Order: sequence, then C-alpha cells, then structure tokens
Amino acid sequence: MKGFLQIHDPLKPKGQVVGIDLGTTNSLVAAVVNGKPICVEVDEGDAVLLPSVVNYAADGSVLVGQRAVAKLAEAPTDTIKSVKRFMGKSLGDVETKKLGAYQFVPGTQGVVRFQVAGGQPVSAIEVSGEILRQLKRRAESRFATKVEQAVITVPAYFDDAQRQATKDAGRLAGLEVLRLLNEPTAAALAYGLDKNAQGLFAVYDLGGGTFDISILELVEGVFQVKSVGGDSALGGDDFDRAIVEKVLAARGISAPTPTQIATLLQAAKVAKERLTDSAQTTLPFEGADFAVSRADFDSWIQPLLAKTGASVRRALKDAGLTAADIKGVVLVGGSTRVPAVRTFVAQTFGKEPLADIDPDQVVALGAAIQADLLTNADRQDEVLLLDVIPLSLGLETMGGVVEKLISRNSPIPIAQAQVFTTFQDGQNAVDIHVVQGEREMVSDCRSLARFKLTGLPAAPAGMARIEVRFAIDADGILTVGAKDQATGAEQKVTVKPTHGLTDEEIEQMLLDSIENAEADVQNRLLVEQQVEARRVLSDARKQLATNGDLLSDAERSAFTNKVDELQALAAEVKDHQTLKDAITALDDHAKPFVERIMNRAISTAAVGHRVEDF
Amino acid sequence: MTHFDVFGLPPSVDLDVRALEQQVRDLSMQFHPDRAAHGDARERRIALEKTTAVNDAFKVLKDPVRRAFYLLKLKGIDLENDASAAAAKMPMAFLEEVMERREKLEGALRKKDLEAARAMAAEVVELKDAAFATAVNALKADDTALAAHQLGRVKYFTRFLEEVEAFEEETLS
Repeated sequence: MKGFLQIHDPLKPKGQVVGIDLGTTNSLVAAVVNGKPICVEVDEGDAVLLPSVVNYAADGSVLVGQRAVAKLAEAPTDTIKSVKRFMGKSLGDVETKKLGAYQFVPGTQGVVRFQVAGGQPVSAIEVSGEILRQLKRRAESRFATKVEQAVITVPAYFDDAQRQATKDAGRLAGLEVLRLLNEPTAAALAYGLDKNAQGLFAVYDLGGGTFDISILELVEGVFQVKSVGGDSALGGDDFDRAIVEKVLAARGISAPTPTQIATLLQAAKVAKERLTDSAQTTLPFEGADFAVSRADFDSWIQPLLAKTGASVRRALKDAGLTAADIKGVVLVGGSTRVPAVRTFVAQTFGKEPLADIDPDQVVALGAAIQADLLTNADRQDEVLLLDVIPLSLGLETMGGVVEKLISRNSPIPIAQAQVFTTFQDGQNAVDIHVVQGEREMVSDCRSLARFKLTGLPAAPAGMARIEVRFAIDADGILTVGAKDQATGAEQKVTVKPTHGLTDEEIEQMLLDSIENAEADVQNRLLVEQQVEARRVLSDARKQLATNGDLLSDAERSAFTNKVDELQALAAEVKDHQTLKDAITALDDHAKPFVERIMNRAISTAAVGHRVEDF
Repeated sequence: MTHFDVFGLPPSVDLDVRALEQQVRDLSMQFHPDRAAHGDARERRIALEKTTAVNDAFKVLKDPVRRAFYLLKLKGIDLENDASAAAAKMPMAFLEEVMERREKLEGALRKKDLEAARAMAAEVVELKDAAFATAVNALKADDTALAAHQLGRVKYFTRFLEEVEAFEEETLS
C-alpha cells in the first residue's frame, strides 16, 4: 500500500496532533498543550496508562485496557496482552512459543493470528489497532477535536517488518503516522528539552517486553543517535515469568493450564511491583501463599540483567565509546523501577541514573514534543532528531551467506546500491533475498523480502550489470529499486514483506472499518488490481513468446484466449473483486505451464551471484 | 554530484572529520525530512533525497579507507564494485602470496587454532597499514596506478582480517 490514505488536503484543519507510546504492557497518548507535554487520561479512573490488553467477546464487542485485564483469568485465549511482541512476527518465530495461552491460527505468509471469541481470527496489527483507536478516542474527547495525526514510538531495535506493522496499525486506527520515533530518542527529547543538555547520554529502556539501549549525542539542538542495541524479546514480562516458573516448580506443576498461567502471571506482576518498596511479599496461588524475598527475586533476574549488560557494552563499542564517556543515563520503562535494575545500571555506567521524569510517561511525552515540532512551523528550528538503522541490512549470496549492504547504526535516511550480475549464460532472472540482522548466515537473520529481477537481457554469465538500490527513509522503512546498468531500464520491483499482513489484508481491514471512505477504498483496490492485471498479462505474454514451445498447440491457443479475456476484462470492469478473481483464474490456469518453465529454468534459477571477486 | 560536492569540498585524502560532522548537523538541520513534514509531497521527497545524499556521503568520507577507495573510483577505477578491475591491477606474484596466506589461515581455522590465526592477523595488519600509507601518498601525488595497486592489497588484507575476526567471534561466543 503506497499510502492512499496519506493523501490529505493541506488546508484541512488537522485537529490535535498527539504522541503515542504503543507499549508492550501499557500504552499512552500525550500532546503538547500550552507549550508543555501532558499525558491524556485514557482508562478507568482517569489513569494515563492504558494496559495494552484487548478482550474479544462472543458478541463481537471489544474491550481495551483495565476492562480487558479483568477478563484475563476468565477468558485467557480471548484476551490478548503484550501483543507488541507479536508485531511483524510469524508463527515460526521463537517468541510465539513462549509461555502464553493463545490459540494461534496461521494467516497468509505465516503471520500470527489469534483465534478469539466473536468471529474471525485477529492479527497483531488489528489488536494494536484497537489499542490505538481507544487512545485516539480518549484524546479526541479530552481535546474536543479530531485527532488524525500522530507520532508513534517503536523500540529502536524494531526491524523493518515490525515498523511496517506498527505503521499499519496506526492506519487501521485512522491515524496518519507522521513519524515512527525510536522510544529512547523520544525519552531523550523529553529530558533534553527540559534540561537543555549537551554531551553524550545513554538511554536504558527496559519496558514490559523489550529492552533498548541507545547512545545519543546532544549538540546544539541536534539529537544524534550514535548507536543503538538491545533485545526485542526481553523485558519486565520476563521478570514475571521468572517468578511464575519458580512457583510452578515449587508446586510441582509441569503442565499448567492457560488459566493457571494467566492467574500466576498477574499475581507475579503484583508481587514484583510490591518488591520495589518492600523486602518481602507473598503471592497467593490456589489457596496457598508463596513467599518471595527481594533477594530471591534479584537473583532470579540476574541472568536477564546480564543480557542487558552485554547489549550496553556492544552499543558503547559501536559508538566508539566507553562507559566513562557517558555524561548521564536516562531510565525509561516501568521495569526500571525495580531496585535491582537501578543498581545494575549504576554499576554498569559508574553513575547514578536520571529518573526525574516518570519512566512510564517519558516516551509518550517525548513523542508529543516531536509531533508538535513536526507540525508547528514556529518550533521547527528548535531541535532535530537524527536516527540510525538498528540492524544491518543485507542480501543473500551464494551458499546462504549474508552480504551486508548497510551496517547497523548508519544514520537514516540512507541508500546503498549494489551491483549484481548473472551466474549462467543467458540467465534472465536473479533472485534477491533481503535480510536484516547481524549474523553471518541467512538462516540466522530475519527474512524481510524476496523478489525476482526478471526480464534481464540475454548475456554471457557475469556480463549483466544490475544495480539494486536500497533506500531507508526517516522512519527506518525500506524500499528497493533495481536498474539494468547496460540499458538504463528501471525495473519495477514489488517487495512483499515475508512477515506481516499483505496489502490485500490491510485493505480488507480498512474496508471493514466504517471510518474510511468506501469509494476511495474501492477505487484504490480497483487500481491495484488493474496494475496487477497488467503485470500478469505482461508476464504471460512474455512467457508465451519465450517458452510457448512447451505447450501443445491446443494448450497454447486455450491459454492465449484466457490472456486475451483478462485483457478485455481489465479494460472495462469496475469491480476489483471480479478482476481479482479473473487474475487468480488465469494464474491457476497457468500453473502446469509455469511448472514446465520452472523445470526448464532449473539450471539457470541460481541465487544471484555478486559481482565479487577473489 | 560527488560525495565531496555534497559538502562543497575539493576531492582530497585529508579531511577534518570533526568539521564534517558539524556540516552533517547543519545540513540535516536544513534539509532533514522532519523539516519538511508539513510541506507538500515534492518538498518531502527533495528533503529525503538531500538528507540521504548527506548521509551517504558522510558514511564514505568519514572513514579514511573508504574515502581513499572513493577517490580512486573518481579517478576511474572502481575496486569496490568491479572484480575484474581489481584483479587486473594485481601482479601475479601477489595473488600467489594471497593464496598461500589463505591456505595457511584455512589450516588454522580447521584446527581451531586461534593463536595462529591471531599471529597471522597481526602480520597482515602491518602489511595493510603499510599498503594504505603508500596508497594515500600515491593518491596525493596523483599516481593512480600505484594507488590502485596498493588499495587492491588493502582490500585483500581487509578481507583476510574480517575472516579472522569472524572466527574469533565464533570461537569466543
């Protein structure tokens, strides 16, 4: 989806712009009012923290926040919490196998869907969309105006698929996402403006489900991220789990029920929070109390803290710094309230961390400041955030080895071109597989996209020169383009995310949402299908021309007829679904043909061979 | 537009990286997409393109080795992207020497002999530094052929060191 919803009339009043912290455990919305950022009351009892929990009921109604939390024990599989951990993830990802009571259903492209009461399985994007919708509604009633534009924060460590998913969730909720902002950068912004600080700062952000460490330099109003690191699967939830595992072990429960897990997780969370102020607490479970001391708890979470320490050292190393260079450490995330965490941070950096802004609110407040800066022309000169790409981007080369194209911590936006050549004489296609991660082997990295560069002019092996250009925008989102250097012909390459929702699915969700103009969507869907039809037709004709000899005369004329029919239909039909069905029908009809072409091409369908050397 | 043009600088091996950083900040302040967030699509696209150019240029120019390869590319020899150009610049004797070193390294890797690999790496670091110093002087003296030859050596040596580093990381983790 290339943003038909982003098209907006610049003269249209924009209402209130907001900053949103879409957190693993809690979500917040904040806005700058009279020059100061404030958090909006978003839940029962005027709480500013909205628990990131969504309950789906059998009658199709949806509850968000505390009212959903109340359903956790009673309906654990219909009540989704920590959904952020599932953003942009597939069923195959390790995390989905962690403690959790959900019933997963595979969606298209392996995307995680939760089977919940009241109808269709929901994706992580839809669940997040519900949270955002609630935040939007509450902000609208608080400010008595429309809220249509937002800055949404993401962990610095989020990869491309996770960022895409977050942006999609914003769109589903009817928000134009002005910018995806890295959470630590948002926190620094909240602190930096208050204190007018200069120098090197570390932001240690331990939230419910993610850990981020960022090293930033503040010079003359420019917040420059020097390096980021962290773990997108480590947070306060893991502290809760550490307690749960001890309780289960102590009670000799090896196969806990979903209800037991949900009850225990909630009790563990309460116990953890109590241990912040007291040295002892008890955790009630099935009629008996389980005693936990702070010393016990501290020792159980030491391995988790040590993992954060390793990330800190790596981020410092990437920035070419040592702990002594850091002028201040900012604490972010509710989990930094845990005394053992503060002690650990103080030891690691050799100085007491800063914590005078509420660590739960600091990210949302920073996001609100950024939203204000982006939309308020008077404030444009005050400050600028320069972010970096958190994970290296690379390509698969021979033998499943990753060739890094853009290394982690490069400032964004950035672009990088890479020249490819062919591997076989007359080869007319090259497979491009884009991955994100730091490991050597493709299998250890996150697969972002696969596509095929086709229609290369026939040339001896190694003679073709195809320049593939990767561009990362200021949100950290990737686009890919390709150009044949010999002919100068640009090739249109559609990159489908390997994980996440397909554009069609998002369109379908948008259709379901009454907040969107029906006609726009219909029109857009039709245009998309027309583009798709043109692509399919051009492919089909090309294949008929080059590989038509693989078909019998009867087959060929039947296939040609089908192609002509689709062409005629594409020119006149006004209903995208009819066109889509016709495209699918042609695809199905072509399957045996495609198989024969594949067999013929098997010797040439090698992985793209880099114009590499030695 | 060359990476040097982005900063209004003449092509040169010597650059003040601190001053360059300051320029990146100033240019970003002016052209970053966030500056154009309230502008129209065209303004936003130009902002994105300009900032991308600044970041791309800085990435290459801040690192003396990449800067040298880039200067050579401006003189018509692209060692980073063109294998045949690279190989053509290297004398046979050097290629043989590389093969020999590589075989020795592979032997050490097979035996998981970290000490031997490190000793070889130390030797290669010295060779690389020497080759790079020669290349820089050649670029200053506008001796493109010598610069290409020496940077070709730097490239081989760098690859060698990367392999040792990957091996070290693997062994230590």
